[in-house]
Amino acid sequence: MRQLFCIFSSLRLTVLLLACSVLLVFWGTLAQVDLGIHEVQRRFFESFTIFLPVIPWHGHWLHFPFPGGYTIGTALLINLACAHFRYFCPSWKKIGIVLIHGGLAALIISGFLTSLLQVESQLWVSEGEKINYSESSRDNELVIIDTSNPEEDTVISIPLSLIKEPGVVEHAALPFQVESLAFFPNADLGLRSQNPNTPPTLATRGAGVKMDIAVMPKPVTYKDNEPNTATAYIKLTDADGEMGTWLVSNMIDERFPAQTFEHGGKTYRIALRFKRYYTPYWIELVDFNHDRYPGTNIPRNFSSQVRIVDPEASEERPVLISMNHPLRYGGLTYYQAAFANSDTTSILQVVKNPSWRLPYFAVLAIGLGLITHFAIHLITFLRKR
Amino acid sequence: MKRALPWVFLIIGIALLIQGMLPKRYATGFDVKCFAMLPIQEGGRIKPLDTLARNTLILLSGRQSIKLPDGARLDANTWMMEVALRSNIADQIPVFRIDNADILGLWGEAQSKQKYYSYLDLEPHFGVINEQAQAVDVEPQARSVFEKKLIQLHESLTLYHKLVHSFHPLTRSGDELEMEYAVWLESIHTGLDAIRLQQEGKPFDEEALNRFMLLADRYLELAKLSEVGITPPPPSIGKSEDDWNNIGQSLLDTILVNHLDPITLGYAKLLTSYNTGDVDAFNETLTLMHERTAEEINPGKLKFEYFFNNFQPFYRSLELYLMVALLAFFSWLGWARPLQRSAFWLLILALLVHTFGLIARMYIQGRPPVTNLYSSAIFVGWAAVLLSVFLERIYKNGVGSAVAGMIGFSTLIIAHQLSTSGDTLEMMRAVLDSNFWLSTHVVTVTLGYSAMFLSGMLAFIYIVRGVFTRTLTKEDARALTRMAYGTLCFATLFSFVGTMLGGIWADQSWGCFWGWDPKENGALIIVLWCALVLHARLGGMIRQRGFMVACIFGNIITSWSWFGTNMLGVGLHSYGFIDRAFWALVLFMGSQVLLMMLGLLPNYCWRSKLH
Repeated sequence: MRQLFCIFSSLRLTVLLLACSVLLVFWGTLAQVDLGIHEVQRRFFESFTIFLPVIPWHGHWLHFPFPGGYTIGTALLINLACAHFRYFCPSWKKIGIVLIHGGLAALIISGFLTSLLQVESQLWVSEGEKINYSESSRDNELVIIDTSNPEEDTVISIPLSLIKEPGVVEHAALPFQVESLAFFPNADLGLRSQNPNTPPTLATRGAGVKMDIAVMPKPVTYKDNEPNTATAYIKLTDADGEMGTWLVSNMIDERFPAQTFEHGGKTYRIALRFKRYYTPYWIELVDFNHDRYPGTNIPRNFSSQVRIVDPEASEERPVLISMNHPLRYGGLTYYQAAFANSDTTSILQVVKNPSWRLPYFAVLAIGLGLITHFAIHLITFLRKR
Repeated sequence: MKRALPWVFLIIGIALLIQGMLPKRYATGFDVKCFAMLPIQEGGRIKPLDTLARNTLILLSGRQSIKLPDGARLDANTWMMEVALRSNIADQIPVFRIDNADILGLWGEAQSKQKYYSYLDLEPHFGVINEQAQAVDVEPQARSVFEKKLIQLHESLTLYHKLVHSFHPLTRSGDELEMEYAVWLESIHTGLDAIRLQQEGKPFDEEALNRFMLLADRYLELAKLSEVGITPPPPSIGKSEDDWNNIGQSLLDTILVNHLDPITLGYAKLLTSYNTGDVDAFNETLTLMHERTAEEINPGKLKFEYFFNNFQPFYRSLELYLMVALLAFFSWLGWARPLQRSAFWLLILALLVHTFGLIARMYIQGRPPVTNLYSSAIFVGWAAVLLSVFLERIYKNGVGSAVAGMIGFSTLIIAHQLSTSGDTLEMMRAVLDSNFWLSTHVVTVTLGYSAMFLSGMLAFIYIVRGVFTRTLTKEDARALTRMAYGTLCFATLFSFVGTMLGGIWADQSWGCFWGWDPKENGALIIVLWCALVLHARLGGMIRQRGFMVACIFGNIITSWSWFGTNMLGVGLHSYGFIDRAFWALVLFMGSQVLLMMLGLLPNYCWRSKLH
């Protein structure tokens, strides 16, 4: 036990872990050329182990396991804590060191928290429009929406993990069974007349049949500016038997024939779409502005004049969101990200991260610690001379 | 003699500076300097024509002046005068650099000594150049050398074409141009009348209408083509800080204000007098044009920019840094005190000039010192030199001067290499448009780079002196290690604080404290490496020599973070894509690996005995 403590608190372990971090971060940077930032983040930094291609072998790479971000982070935390108990002796001269390492621990923890809790999505809003949800640009959901009530819709959201493999899903609020016949993480959709050699469609109702859409599966892309077209065939069955099979895809949106059906006197709509996050308030875009540097097309600033309409908190006020000046409201933060439709649609990045304040405190502690520590050293050094 | 030595070198240095400040003399009598100071708006800011001339010439030819076939040299401003006022002559000046055999092969020309071609030389081949350039459809990162060079040539030709059409509609002579303007003024009246009558369905003067439409179309084409604003909008229409009018817009605005813009007319008069050789009329027109623009903008700032361009402070300090480094090296062979004193005094002079250049750029651009890769090179050098001055003041052994000279020299060379892509005082994209974060995050991170390179350079001196000479005493070695250690601590502090400030900026701007972007990762690796080295030293895992070798490795890491990450072409920070520098980077890293191996040679291979 004592020996274990010695190992976990040793400086050698610190150096080893730091060396591993350097390698991991370096590899994680190079891998972004092929995998894109998000996939790298998932595989390298938000994982316990990663298999790295190390040795070329007959045209292939031999992969070796390497500690991922979670492993190194946890080990560093343990190392830090053990070393603190082993070496700590109270002295004003050491205050810097304590601050630095305390801050570091907080920073590592905030990294864990962020990767677990942070949710990112985008809000597209056109001038004059009111929106109360934002959409993920990567995650999808299968939704069945009861649209019978003219006042409000009831949305049943089914996570994609449940339909990735063929199988049946049941939900208490749905009077029928949902069955996934096939799922494609990425695919091209086209008209069958233009793609004659594609496998026959499984769809029996909805846009897939009406437009005779052909599905051509393709590999998942990791490019940050290229979304994956998630597509599936969904069969619905009730007590009387099969109701039909629909082709659903995040590409099939309002431009396509409506995918609606009647059941038990109610009207439903089925769709596979980018995952939506609803808020109890609305964001209305009053005006979008896009300034350029004079005589050029170099953008200087984007800003959205919006209005928050929150009936629950009976709050309604105008807000200006611009580059470097986000809006924080209802636990979410809205950042000006981009624009579309010749400057009439604003795209806001929406981030939910309950732990966003932690890194600020951590950085403050480490910064202060570094300054005190090096200042104490410098003063002693100059005194000696 | 020995006492006077520092003075002698200082006077040589000052003489070099004064020589750089002297205005250029022109034999023809035309006031080229006054012409070069005419204000224009391009790339989002108002600048003297001089800046446009220099940057364009560098883009086309890679140089600031051209060697003519008869051996004479043409400076950027005289070239600009030909482009703006005598395009038939300008078309014959060889400014387009082509050094790729495959491009010459497009029209069956074998590569020869000739590197520069004129517009007229290339005119017969426009068809094939255009056709081939259109056929290149891969992303910039994936292009072959031939494709890159081809696109570059195509862009150069377009740029030149636009520039020729930026000051007046092309005509055969100055008289003809002034006549055209007179006809335009007159036909506005009759033409508008004719249009009104036509719309009302009444009989109208068809000839007047046609003449008006013909000229209006011609000016509309110009308005679409040129990217250089030559005159502020007429006072009744806009303000001088708005979009300036290019030649086409200015002529079209005549319809609204009913008189020709004085600057536009001025360029026509310059054209006439330059072509007829009327020096007095030429210079007089220039004076009038300056009087007109002085009503709208601050001419002092343009004059200053002209002086800055002409003085080339970074080039001057580069020369001085080289002298400093040499003096410091020689001081270790003998005459230590006087040579070290000379080096130090010159170093101060070089730093002053360097500082002047840095502040001048900040004044012209209205921005903190680091805004792009070019300015980061200037700043990395400046900060490292400043730190070395302190080291030299403390240790007084020539080491500070030597590293300052070497870092100052090499970073300014890097900056020079980076300056060939156009105006280095470019506008900031919206995301980066925050003076607060530019001056905190970017400056601190760059200070971290400076300190990393400085510690690496100190280690370089330690290893080279130790392995190849007997001059490294135990005391020197200890002093060098102390310097490198202190600098590395400084680097740790600034790299860490800078990186974290970047995190805060990112959190403020797009809600993500840390996004694992290549540039962020690069900075993180620096911090991790510093922490590793400091802990390894603390735990006794490395001693003096190991520490120095680790500092050299710091050079590799820092150069990766500074340049390598930009070459990946991914992420938010990849604003300065520079594949040209790839091999330079590989070479640098290779040299550092070699140095590390030298440093790891067993003790008996070292000529200085430290043990």
